[in-house]
Amino acid sequence: MVLDLTMSMAVLAIMGAIATIAGCIEDLESDVGSQSNPNSQVQLAPQMGLLHRIYNKAISGEPISNGFSAVIGGLVTNVLLNAKFFPLTAIVLGAFVAALIYGIFATTAYAGRVASQTRFKQPLYMDVMRYTTPSIIGHNFIVCFCLVSISYIQYAILGYPLSIPFLALIWGISVGAIGSSVGDVHYGGEREFQNREFGCGLNTALSGRIVRKAESGLRNSLDNVWFCAKFGGPATGIALGLTVFFSSWPTTIWGYTWTAMGVGVIILAVMTVMNRLVEINVKKSYGPYKEDKNEKEAAA
Amino acid sequence: MSDIKEISPENLAAFGIIGGLLGIYLSPLFPPYTSIFGALGAICAVIWGAEAVRRVAKYGLGTGVPSIGQIAMGMGIIAAMFGLAIMKSVTKDPRAIYAGPVLALVTASIIGFVIGWFAQNVIKMKIPVMVRCMTEIAASGALIIIGYSAAVAGNYDFMGSLILKVFDNGVILAVFWVGAMAMLHPFNACLGPDEKQKRLLYLAASTGAITMAVMGIAAIMTLGPMGVVTLVIGVILWLIFYKKFWDEVYKDAASVVGTGLIPKTEA
Amino acid sequence: MVVFATTTLIDILLIGLSGTLICLAVHFIPVGGAPAAMAQATGIGTGTVELAAGSGLVGLITSSYMYAYEPKAAMLLVMAAGAMGAAIMLASTMLAGGLIYAYGVAVPFASAQVKKDPITGERQDNYVSKGTQGQGIPTICFVSGVVGAALGGAGGGLIYFVLMQYYTPLIAGSAAAVAGVFTMGVFYVNSVIPSYGVGGTIEGVHDPKFRRVVPKDVFTSVIVSMLCGVVAILIAGGMV
Repeated sequence: MVLDLTMSMAVLAIMGAIATIAGCIEDLESDVGSQSNPNSQVQLAPQMGLLHRIYNKAISGEPISNGFSAVIGGLVTNVLLNAKFFPLTAIVLGAFVAALIYGIFATTAYAGRVASQTRFKQPLYMDVMRYTTPSIIGHNFIVCFCLVSISYIQYAILGYPLSIPFLALIWGISVGAIGSSVGDVHYGGEREFQNREFGCGLNTALSGRIVRKAESGLRNSLDNVWFCAKFGGPATGIALGLTVFFSSWPTTIWGYTWTAMGVGVIILAVMTVMNRLVEINVKKSYGPYKEDKNEKEAAA
Repeated sequence: MSDIKEISPENLAAFGIIGGLLGIYLSPLFPPYTSIFGALGAICAVIWGAEAVRRVAKYGLGTGVPSIGQIAMGMGIIAAMFGLAIMKSVTKDPRAIYAGPVLALVTASIIGFVIGWFAQNVIKMKIPVMVRCMTEIAASGALIIIGYSAAVAGNYDFMGSLILKVFDNGVILAVFWVGAMAMLHPFNACLGPDEKQKRLLYLAASTGAITMAVMGIAAIMTLGPMGVVTLVIGVILWLIFYKKFWDEVYKDAASVVGTGLIPKTEA
Repeated sequence: MVVFATTTLIDILLIGLSGTLICLAVHFIPVGGAPAAMAQATGIGTGTVELAAGSGLVGLITSSYMYAYEPKAAMLLVMAAGAMGAAIMLASTMLAGGLIYAYGVAVPFASAQVKKDPITGERQDNYVSKGTQGQGIPTICFVSGVVGAALGGAGGGLIYFVLMQYYTPLIAGSAAAVAGVFTMGVFYVNSVIPSYGVGGTIEGVHDPKFRRVVPKDVFTSVIVSMLCGVVAILIAGGMV
């Protein structure tokens, strides 16, 4: 596009920042309703005789549901922009419509899943429905607003060839894929099984035996957000921010050349090394679960 | 749950195909007033598709229910584009356009059949209804895409209006994705040992109606005031079926309580 | 009707190839499905389809942008742009995911499928927690994932490139939209098929499952993608 280097770097930085917010809130939104893979445990719990008061928001996996809300947001924004609305107003209204529809899907998922568990006597708590759904809508509004904003910037300022709903859909799918691979581990691996020893690893036999009691009273889905906001959410945000920033950074600076591709390879190598460093650090600090047989014999 | 009478797959398939095609063929009659029939036809196809998803996903696919909705729409969109576009290259007769939707349906069935056959015999998924359901899902996917597109564009002329009114402004992505959600969400949301067909079908009608409302918003951009009509009727249909879905939930759920502690169980 | 010249045939083969790349991508990306989200299996804790699609479509964004501003860009460069976008998306995801496994759930990274990491040579089996199939993302999985995502992104870029060559002369302004949507369709078909093949989870290139399922999945993908390629080129015939 015709922006100079400083300006395009500024736009890129803004996009990275918006993406970080979107990623973080997306993960928290999936924890509010308990969605995606960790939801399998919430689904399984009544079968193990453990009834609970946790929302069961099974609107498919996160990539699909976030793509869904983002594409509606992008579509409505497009319609409003076409009617000569101010861009910010259009994006806000678009995100609002999308979040409402998302909320409707959330209610049907909770009601439908619980009604299909009749034989385990899981009750449908209407108060859980009433206070969790608005929170889902609110979180999703922020996510959708951020994603449609990124798409608008890419379409209107940077001049991408794809339309706003298309870009919004792709970012929605990506944010969902990242959210379910990063933040959800914190919810599924730690928060749902918080009564086990930290770092014990989760035996498959524990499946479905989720924590149902809170610090005070019974645990609900909002308690889970409180916990995951400390690590899972921000980490997801960083992942999406890195994706948005680094997928465009080399080509912004070096243009569409093989040099830019080389820089991309260097970024990948750095990330691989960082992952390796984390691996070494963790293995050293925690040690193995079981001792080596030979070592045991030698010690004996 | 053999004691509950279910609507047979054949009847639902007939309902989906006839309703879907009828709606699509009615849509360009009196433009733009009849565009709404496209969306109504697509709702029929959504109901059929949701039932087909239900039958195949019951077996457990290993990747969750949503993947099948995605592949349905992937096949559906390829077939729909092909079916609607191809006639122009075969003949110059302007009436050839009427063959489009049927051709799309047939193409989708063929692609679905091929993929289903491969899934069953090469990948060896060992799901007896795989081939049949894949065919049905792809076919309903194509009808959903053409139906909702026709509701936005006013007709199903690929070169003349779809590219301009549906592809360029990105509406097709919403058709693609929201249509997939409308089709896969009913079974995914009702998943569980006590899943019932009636509740699922009401939910399918309600998700189809929401999609119709979204298409109504899009149609405001392309068809003007007619979009508002689609939007309003979509919302009304949604309200009706959403209410019916909730009635079923109240009937089926173990208990619906305002609030309360966890009931005591043996475990 | 479109004349089936040699170039047409080559283009169909190229679309078949790109479908194969996407199919391979699904096998390379270490995905643990729902168990991995509970740190009960090695790999990324989400579904195969969406991860391949999520990374591949980011690749589609970068490659489409490149195609729009460097119309003379070589095919390989467009593919490389797609590969870079996709690989960076997946690498960031795995890096941040690794942080959660390491410091949020506190489990050491270990693969249950191999005794020693083929790259670092480190012991894996004694780091696997009891009753699980490994956890986290060891180096081999990370590298395998980056390679896989790059393949997927390159595949997406390739279909987009081939289709743009066809559609741009016919429908100049709308070519990107039509080619993009078609790419997405092919993408989903080709990422769902191998997901059924691997049964939802795979650890990456070192997994014994990899050798077992790759041939038949690739075979299916080639056939189906070439079918899609024929369809795509016939669509161009209807655009005259």
